[in-house]
Amino acid sequence: MLTQFVTILIIISIIGCILYGRRLIRTEKVDAVFGNPERAKGGAHWVIVGSSAILMLWLYYSWDIARGFYPKSANELCQVAKINESLLGLKYQFPIEEREFKSTSIIKIENKNLVKIANEIKESPDLNDQQKTILVSYIDRTSKLIPFLTSEELIEMDTKIKIQEMTEQIKQLSVNFQKEDYPYETDAQKNERQKLVDEQGGWGIVTIDSGSGSIENTIEIPTAPQTNKGLKFHAAAKELSLINDKFFKLRNHNPLFKSTIKQLKDDIKDYRKALDDSEEIASDYAKNIVKIARRIEFASIYPPNALNEMQAAIIEFDELQKKEQAGLRLIDILLFPSGTIVASGATCSEQGSGRWLPKPSDTFNKFVQLSKPSVGYKNVPLLWIKLVDVSKMIGFILPDWIADILPGEYPIHTKDGIVKDNFKSNVLKVVTGDFKLFKVPVPFGHIWDSFMRVFLGLVFGIIIGVPLGLFMGLNRFARGFFDPLIELYRPVPPLAWAPLIISVLGIDNTGKVFLLFMVSLSIMIISARAGASGTQLSKIHAAHSLGASKKQILRHVIFPNSLPEILTGIRVAVGMCWGTLVAAEFLAGTTGIGFVENVAKKYFQWEVIWITIIVMGLLGLLFDVTLRKIIDKTIPWRGKG
Amino acid sequence: MKKILSFILGSIFALNLSISVANSAANEVRVAYFLEWPSPNLEDMMKKNYSKALGIPVKWTSFNTGVEMTEAMLAGDIDISYSQGLVPFINAVKSNAPIKLIDIAMEYGMGGTTCVTSNASGITKANASELEGKKVAVPLGTMADYVFTASMEIVGADPSKMTVIDMVPEDGAAALVSGDVAMACLFGGNSIAAATEVGSRLISVEEARAGGILGIDITSVTNKFMNENPGMVRTFVEVTHEANDRYRSGKSDMSSMSKASAMEVSKMKGTLDGFKFLTPEETKQSMENGNLSGFLNGMGTPSGNVDTSFLPL
Repeated sequence: MLTQFVTILIIISIIGCILYGRRLIRTEKVDAVFGNPERAKGGAHWVIVGSSAILMLWLYYSWDIARGFYPKSANELCQVAKINESLLGLKYQFPIEEREFKSTSIIKIENKNLVKIANEIKESPDLNDQQKTILVSYIDRTSKLIPFLTSEELIEMDTKIKIQEMTEQIKQLSVNFQKEDYPYETDAQKNERQKLVDEQGGWGIVTIDSGSGSIENTIEIPTAPQTNKGLKFHAAAKELSLINDKFFKLRNHNPLFKSTIKQLKDDIKDYRKALDDSEEIASDYAKNIVKIARRIEFASIYPPNALNEMQAAIIEFDELQKKEQAGLRLIDILLFPSGTIVASGATCSEQGSGRWLPKPSDTFNKFVQLSKPSVGYKNVPLLWIKLVDVSKMIGFILPDWIADILPGEYPIHTKDGIVKDNFKSNVLKVVTGDFKLFKVPVPFGHIWDSFMRVFLGLVFGIIIGVPLGLFMGLNRFARGFFDPLIELYRPVPPLAWAPLIISVLGIDNTGKVFLLFMVSLSIMIISARAGASGTQLSKIHAAHSLGASKKQILRHVIFPNSLPEILTGIRVAVGMCWGTLVAAEFLAGTTGIGFVENVAKKYFQWEVIWITIIVMGLLGLLFDVTLRKIIDKTIPWRGKG
Repeated sequence: MKKILSFILGSIFALNLSISVANSAANEVRVAYFLEWPSPNLEDMMKKNYSKALGIPVKWTSFNTGVEMTEAMLAGDIDISYSQGLVPFINAVKSNAPIKLIDIAMEYGMGGTTCVTSNASGITKANASELEGKKVAVPLGTMADYVFTASMEIVGADPSKMTVIDMVPEDGAAALVSGDVAMACLFGGNSIAAATEVGSRLISVEEARAGGILGIDITSVTNKFMNENPGMVRTFVEVTHEANDRYRSGKSDMSSMSKASAMEVSKMKGTLDGFKFLTPEETKQSMENGNLSGFLNGMGTPSGNVDTSFLPL
């Protein structure tokens, strides 16, 4: 219902905005010439068109539109897919989907193999002439097996009758299939089917096993036929698969073939037995010849015209079922782009873009579910607040060795089994945070963890990178000393450090933050250095002649002048950090957005994967918007000097 | 306006077309396998016996995890996955992937997949509940994940109280060496060898077998390939079982197997000793009402994903 509404709204807004845009061009008077940035201002309606188009693409390729407007189409297509599955094996025997008969292609391949093995034997230096003649004679006998199967005269009456029977069955099915009330369902059967349909629910039911992270995937496509049309296909598919099984059990083995192949197998067996260990190569060749003979035995090879009628019947039925689909076929082509519903045994599934691109409505539902702190992902919520005692923070900040260096000893238990606190143990309690103060809310969860990692990596990068960069821009020693170091490490992709991270820095946050720090550091150094060396000399001279000290020049001239470069550097670094974060969290994850994505991948939870992608995009955007605001506030003079 | 509209329609059409073409059949068989996971049929892979038997070229691609195998099969790049872990297979069919189990590659005790506790942590089977509150490395969604859950049940520790860190076996072994985790659950000969240098197996191979922990690797095939080429699937199974037979009678060519699996011969033999390659009859029995069917039922696998029609030969 919501999907239908949204789809229509999107179409209306796209058309409306385009029309508005065109009218604006006609009526609006723009003084600015081409090239003036003024011309690019405004245009909120194009923002709407752009975002609507993305959403529309998503709705379309995830097949959400199909579900919104034709909720039963998937179930019907599932029944059609069942027919296709049953037909596939049969069709593959004939030049319907393929270029040639299966029999033809098998004969071609095996003849080629026989020629190949014959050549190998003739040229083999390890075989003596006697062995060669014997083996080649076996090959000749094997290749003579094929005519026994393809001969019109030799085919047995029994086999012919069976093929005739199957052909009749398919023809009968075609006749029945056209009838209105096929498959003649009784009321009792109908009730039973209705019960099944009610139990299985609709297309894409979401069930979440809370907390465990193993969000059980949905019953993608309900399999029991919901509609009468679906039932027709369902019943026909059942009949067809029976015929299919029967056909594949049938072998065109006439008595002559059977006796010849048995003779050949026995001869080769005797021959191999008679060989001693030194003649292993001959034995191997003989074995390979038997294998080819067995493949010919197993394959469904028939005389060229024996299956003509059956082929015609299959093609007729195929045409018929396509005609019977009618409007459904159109829905399949138009609303199920790049893929369709595929049956696999008893179940049906979406294969194609609908598989890896979850429906927006499902994704939204799942996001709402995941956002509940009680559900979360792998026992950790996405973003929530927990109450933490301030004492814990004090304990975290104060180093534990403060207590150790105090004079005196830690208390020892007395004879009565009582431990009495002294000054030293009390201090230890304070520095380890083992006391109660008031509690404050602290955010935690996957999103917060990822955010903190990026934030810390960035902050460390700025703290070290900016002073170093300025220093390098102003000092000969620093430039000469650090330049080779920085230039050597800067071009290394941050992920190249990944294999070392676990061994050197362990699996905790240290490693991940370090990786992000490496990313931001080089960017910050480069931008700070460029800012410092790019300061206009006249400004420095002016300050100097007014009597400014070195410190003052740095503080009031060089730093403000390099600020635009530094802030742009931060913006670039944020983007790069987000890019590296996912890879960092793949390494050894317990929390974080990248971890969620990596685990979801293993369980094929496409919705969760897309949620993480969208969350990352939004967080990156949030960072960037914040920075833009900061830039506007701190350096309003940028681009105006 | 017309130009824009025709461009959009054209690109949508092209996209639809390109995706459907990508899945069309090729005239070769594409098989997925693991490195560091030896099996007798790798000798046939090296000697191209499969393409001889199938009559068309066979392309072997190595993968890191069974999950990736499934992904490649869904994308239409792989037809047959050899020695895919059962757990990745179950996860795949639970999410309705159109693949079928046709054969058991091997059964193995805890030899090939196991949990190793570090000596530094001092944790053994006797005090395993001390693992609660500690960090453990587990490659989630793999056979090692299953072994982890099952062993915790045997030793009576609560896995939900541990901090489970998702790490591939190589990283897990490194983390155990550096002391970051108290226990690492791993598969693959080289990783286990690295881990056991600083630790020991939580439960022995015998204890695991007695506790019913059993690894099963399987052969899976895409529905499409199975329907189109039942004969080829049968031949593949046949050649594989011939190789197993050769191994059982001690006639395998170890050096070509070690080359194919990228392992030293001695290490490979150690790993192979932990494997059991079933005969076709045993395989069928396991699939119908033995270890495999018990495993599948225990994990709540939807039925209809196992096809025994290719066995026994």
